Amino acid sequence: MTRLLISLRRFALYRGLLELYGRSPLLRLILVAIIPVLWIGATNITPLFQMVEISFYDRYPVPQGEPIEWTGRHYATFFERPLYITAFLRSFIFASLATIVTLIVVFPVAYYISKAAPKNMRTRLLLLVVAPFWVSEIIRSFAWIVMLANRGAVNSFFSLIGMPGTPFDLLYNNVSLTIGVVYLTSLYMLLPLYAALEKIDDNLLEAAANLGAPAWQRFFRVVLPLSREGIVAGCTLVFLLVIGLYAMPQLLGGPSNTLFASTIGQIFSKAGDSWPLGSAFSIILTGSALAYVGLFVALFQRKRRGRAA
Amino acid sequence: MKFLRRLALPGLFWLFVAYMFLPLAVMAAMGFRDSNFVAFPIQAWTTQWYREVLFDRDILASLWLSAQVALLSTTISILVGLPVAFLTARTSGLLRGALVALVVLPAFLPVVVSAIALRIFIGRIGLETGMLAIAFGHAVASMPFVVVMVLTRLNSMGQNMADAARNLGADDLIVLFRIVLPYLSPALLGAFMFCMLLSFEDFVRSFFLGGFEQTFPVLLFSRLRFGFDPGLAAISTIILIVTTGFGLYAERFIRSRRLGRDTSLSATGKTND
Repeated sequence: MTRLLISLRRFALYRGLLELYGRSPLLRLILVAIIPVLWIGATNITPLFQMVEISFYDRYPVPQGEPIEWTGRHYATFFERPLYITAFLRSFIFASLATIVTLIVVFPVAYYISKAAPKNMRTRLLLLVVAPFWVSEIIRSFAWIVMLANRGAVNSFFSLIGMPGTPFDLLYNNVSLTIGVVYLTSLYMLLPLYAALEKIDDNLLEAAANLGAPAWQRFFRVVLPLSREGIVAGCTLVFLLVIGLYAMPQLLGGPSNTLFASTIGQIFSKAGDSWPLGSAFSIILTGSALAYVGLFVALFQRKRRGRAA
Repeated sequence: MKFLRRLALPGLFWLFVAYMFLPLAVMAAMGFRDSNFVAFPIQAWTTQWYREVLFDRDILASLWLSAQVALLSTTISILVGLPVAFLTARTSGLLRGALVALVVLPAFLPVVVSAIALRIFIGRIGLETGMLAIAFGHAVASMPFVVVMVLTRLNSMGQNMADAARNLGADDLIVLFRIVLPYLSPALLGAFMFCMLLSFEDFVRSFFLGGFEQTFPVLLFSRLRFGFDPGLAAISTIILIVTTGFGLYAERFIRSRRLGRDTSLSATGKTND
């Protein structure tokens, strides 16, 4: 490679370009910035703006030869139909609850791996738990279908031990969906929690113990405040993940408990005419989700500063 | 506390491990059931499903599509992510903050929204749904992770090595190919595997951008909704084992602490930044 690049220097044009590149800071900047600016502009920004634009179209695609009609009626639709508002609220409540459940399930696990387990085992235990991290959402859903179906593993176990009333309807309701969602999100919660808990100095816990703090106080006054950043990061991650879930609610959830992301998805899999409606709903979902998460983060940060002062 | 330390915490931990692995083990077992239906108890066992799925045309086609998409999207996101990381490394202050925010934006959108926005976008630029569109969508989704991993590594590099090379007569291209890229190689390798996995397991983007072309997760999704047999459990188990192995191997490259760790070469360069 070096040899090739050196032999290239024999050509005056190449030398000239190198020279120019070395001399002109502007050219350097342009060369470094051109791909990033174009790509980010095209992929990260433009699609969102187009979505906003289309959400105000009366119809999309616009029929040939007709002028674009602008309207806000798709946003109005959201507020007029209880069906949509219910799905929207249900999404936020479900995502919040799923986040809290994930936190409660994962916190002791993260605490055990980072603090309580024997030191030489910690890396291995972490690796064991994060091993299934890359199993996809669909395969995870499938695994829980096999577990919870009417003739699934759990019901089969129940009838084996002679429990009356089997098979139970375990699948296609909010409980099965929550089990599946927590199954999916817990590793996203685990990693930030582990990182935060691992950083806590063991001496602090010892000092608190020596000063007479009982276990619950050490937990609430030392461990919890010091792991706040991990909790916030994990909860943010998990909430945003759950609010955008599309496949798992359809595979594990009940038919009457549609979440807003599924509503949006279904609007888009229909004909092009309903795209403006779907765009408007997407904007509503994104805006509210980011505002909700932003508020959550801001609340936590202010609290921390207040305490430090 | 003693009780908590000795029993409750380890108990909860192993309960969690069971929660993670039991459903997967049950699914793997289901793949051995000698029947056309997914149901318990398993009375007769067979390895037929595990053998047959390897010749199922639809599944093979979807896996081939997934592999193509993964490779293409990973290549794109690394080729784009590198310059983005270089640019970000050169900025500072507010500009850097704004740039980073724009770069990571796709990772914070609800997945459905991001997929649909891209669906509208490709329609406008005239790209048909299908393999290229999926690869494009995955590249958009994974680029932020490439940037973050490369940046972490870049931050530990310092200026000395590049300066030394320049003093010895290397031009900027030689510095890029012989100094910077080799130094970044662990991060690039990590990013490569991370993006491959991310692409391979993605459902929503593939679903909305694929049209009639189905990647493996999309095929699995449609079969799960419209009737399935133990063969599906078998192929899922095979995929699960492959991706988990790949993921565990990739893990050593992905963790940021390792990327940020100085090698002996760069230790001298640290003082300079």
